[in-house]
Amino acid sequence: MTEKSQALWKADRQSATAAAAEHVLVARGICKSFPGVAALDYVDFEVRSGEVNALVGENGAGKSTLIKIMAGFYAPDRGEIRVNGKHLRADPTAAHKAGVATIHQDHNLVPSMTVAENIMLGHWPSRFGIISKKDQTKRALDALGRVAPELAPGTLARRLSPAEGQLVEIARALSEDSRALIMDEPTASLSSPEIDRLFALVNELKSKGLGIVFVSHWIEEVFRIADRITVLRDGKLVGSAPSAELDQERVIKMMVGRAVHEITSSAREPDKVVLEVRNLSRYGVVEDISLEVRKGEVVTLAGLVGAGRSEVASCIFGIDSYDAGEVLVNGKHVAPNDPTAAMQAGIGFIPEDRRRQALIAQLSVSTNATIAVLDRVAPRWVISAEREREIVSDATRSLAIKMSSPRARVSTLSGGNQQKVVLARWLARKPSVLILDEPTKGVDVGAKAEISEIILRLASQGTAILLISSELPEVLALSDRVLVMRSGRIAGELDRRSMSPESIMNYAATV
Amino acid sequence: MNSATQVRSSLRPGFLGKIRTGNKAVLEAVQSLGLCTVIVIGSILLGLATPVFFTRINIENLFYSSTIIAVIAIGQSFVILVAGIDLSVGAVLALASVLCVGLPVFQGLPVWLSMVIALGTGACIGLINGLNVTVVRIPALIATLAMMSVARGTAFLYSGGRNIAPVPSVFVNIQAARVFGIPLVILFTLALGVLANFVLSSTPFGRSVYATGGNAVAARLSGIRTNRVILASYVISGVTAAIGGLMITARLEAGAATAGVGAELTVISAVVIGGVSLFGGEGKIGGVLLGVLLLGLVQNAINLLNVPPNYDYVVSGLVIAAAAALDVYRRRIVEAGLRRRSILGRKDETATKGKPAEPDQKPDTAKANDMKGPEAAYDRPK
Repeated sequence: MTEKSQALWKADRQSATAAAAEHVLVARGICKSFPGVAALDYVDFEVRSGEVNALVGENGAGKSTLIKIMAGFYAPDRGEIRVNGKHLRADPTAAHKAGVATIHQDHNLVPSMTVAENIMLGHWPSRFGIISKKDQTKRALDALGRVAPELAPGTLARRLSPAEGQLVEIARALSEDSRALIMDEPTASLSSPEIDRLFALVNELKSKGLGIVFVSHWIEEVFRIADRITVLRDGKLVGSAPSAELDQERVIKMMVGRAVHEITSSAREPDKVVLEVRNLSRYGVVEDISLEVRKGEVVTLAGLVGAGRSEVASCIFGIDSYDAGEVLVNGKHVAPNDPTAAMQAGIGFIPEDRRRQALIAQLSVSTNATIAVLDRVAPRWVISAEREREIVSDATRSLAIKMSSPRARVSTLSGGNQQKVVLARWLARKPSVLILDEPTKGVDVGAKAEISEIILRLASQGTAILLISSELPEVLALSDRVLVMRSGRIAGELDRRSMSPESIMNYAATV
Repeated sequence: MNSATQVRSSLRPGFLGKIRTGNKAVLEAVQSLGLCTVIVIGSILLGLATPVFFTRINIENLFYSSTIIAVIAIGQSFVILVAGIDLSVGAVLALASVLCVGLPVFQGLPVWLSMVIALGTGACIGLINGLNVTVVRIPALIATLAMMSVARGTAFLYSGGRNIAPVPSVFVNIQAARVFGIPLVILFTLALGVLANFVLSSTPFGRSVYATGGNAVAARLSGIRTNRVILASYVISGVTAAIGGLMITARLEAGAATAGVGAELTVISAVVIGGVSLFGGEGKIGGVLLGVLLLGLVQNAINLLNVPPNYDYVVSGLVIAAAAALDVYRRRIVEAGLRRRSILGRKDETATKGKPAEPDQKPDTAKANDMKGPEAAYDRPK
């Protein structure tokens, strides 16, 4: 670190201590809603100079939205952000200038550029439009000096380990005027010694007077690093307290703590096994997954994002190949790595990312709804408009899809209705196994309830359901059994009697 | 206007209302209508500029000269609809041309057999293109560019660089044949267009083409074997290019390795002007044929108005750019209409969905919350 920057750090610290509130970053009464769902509901959040405030919550609790607002990416509908007591307008550049540095969850380095080029990305020092390499290296070294003096500025970014890449991102985000650092799931791709290194850096930055916002799912990690823990749930602030006053159990309760309503569906007689997965492994992704789903049963894969749940579904449906193991439907082997074969074997699959993996935006509702049953709408090679109409109107009625016309583009429908179109596509096939990956993601509350009902109805009609869901209330309401995944493995199995938010989170979030 | 009346007006039937509701058929009609308007206005202007334009001979000539490009454009449409591109069509045309004349002349094969071989060669080249794109995973642009070079080179090798003539009499007869006074090639082209339109709109394969081009991941996850669909599209393009080769042989009365240089660009322009999205999944054969006709009209105008030959390329280029720009503009208007509809649609929906949510569907967070104790203990930041 240069003398000048050291002096600045010092000056910063003094002025920070001098300021009465000491709060470097304050969010007051933040509201933000996206179509159909309230993402944040009057949330207050603040971080003091020299403090790590960990922001925790389930998937969809609103953590990402909150930090995106604090980093200036979204404008809040209501409320305001203050940095060092000054109002911040919603503009990432302004936020950075005001002293808010943000490290995003996914790595944002250009692999083909050097460390120095990445650090100066977008603000390459130039004279008359020509980039000065010397100046660039010098300034990159300054930046690296603050966080990772051991990295060489000339290294290609693709040669860096994930941890080193993260350090480079931190170096890029931090400037001499940085007052607050927001880190979104910074440990997601790091090994344990790398995490130690990162935490050492976080402590160092903290001692220099930065306020740090640390977002994580991992409770143990949070307790290692945080001075204060703030819990969000369903877009609302549950509470914020010094971590010394809390323990893991209480934080988990705060994260999931909602009353679980009475489960209505009664325990069923064990029926025959429809879907069986034996020792399925895709090396480095999922390992040794064995599960079975019986006729009329709802089995849920629970766990945190990144635990490998969607990957298991991808292997079963043949989207990804697997290295070991076997998938059977009704006792018959299903050819690997071939979605068409999986479909013909009787599996239906509703993927997580509706827009990217399920809908064909340019095409009409009716084409989208019948695309998986082309063989049925077209006996003898020609599509029968009549059959198509029948299938579509059946689905529209039984799923209550709202649209202006079956010929309207599917992209004009709301999220919930789009999801119902995807459901219709598979229901027309009458699959014996239906895999649903986060079926209620991004749909409004009303549609959520309808989709849950549809799932239970299908199960009662004998469909074997493999559900992936990150929403604990949904998991608890729908499942006959829950398999909790962690780091690519099944960490535990819970039945009706033993499943609770706490037991699921215990398997999912602790090592 | 308040939002309620806006919603109502967007649901009102009628042409504009249908654009706003995102009705796909109407959107496509708007596309064709736009092209038709341009063609009609262009024709009127041209007719005013020169009396020759509206003569029977000239009109027939206009259609007749567009047939080869039209046939190849029909095949190219399949490839572009699956979000690919086939640059090898001009070269395949030349190869088919030298083969269908050369095989009878040099090797003494029967004419019908050499025509079949020429078409088969087109199919094989399409298959190789398709395999390169789907299995080897070379980007379509590069794979077909390489094939363009190989096919053109093969045509030169086989013919020795000379035109092969005279052609068997069959070609001359096909060229001269008329049905109901209309040249056979024009009728054939129209028939091919009707067939392609039928395949695309009314068969599972056609659906699969749109689905694969529209969203390959979604199509695959819906059980469509997308690689096969892509492969078949390239084969179709190869075959139509070879048909184009037979047609040009009849027109030139020679097998020419130099035939169709640059044809791929004309073909692709016509397809895109005709409303097929280069990103795949969108467009109709009817539009493509209109696109071909528009380009034919431009060429016709250049000939009739005695534009100096050296201005030829510049003028066609400008027209293509203008047509494409108009198309982008039109698309933007339609998209804006769609967006408005989707916002209004949601409003409308929430308005009609006035029924109260059933109380037992959502856990009542506030009431049955046994976490009250620990929560209250935390100092809520104020």
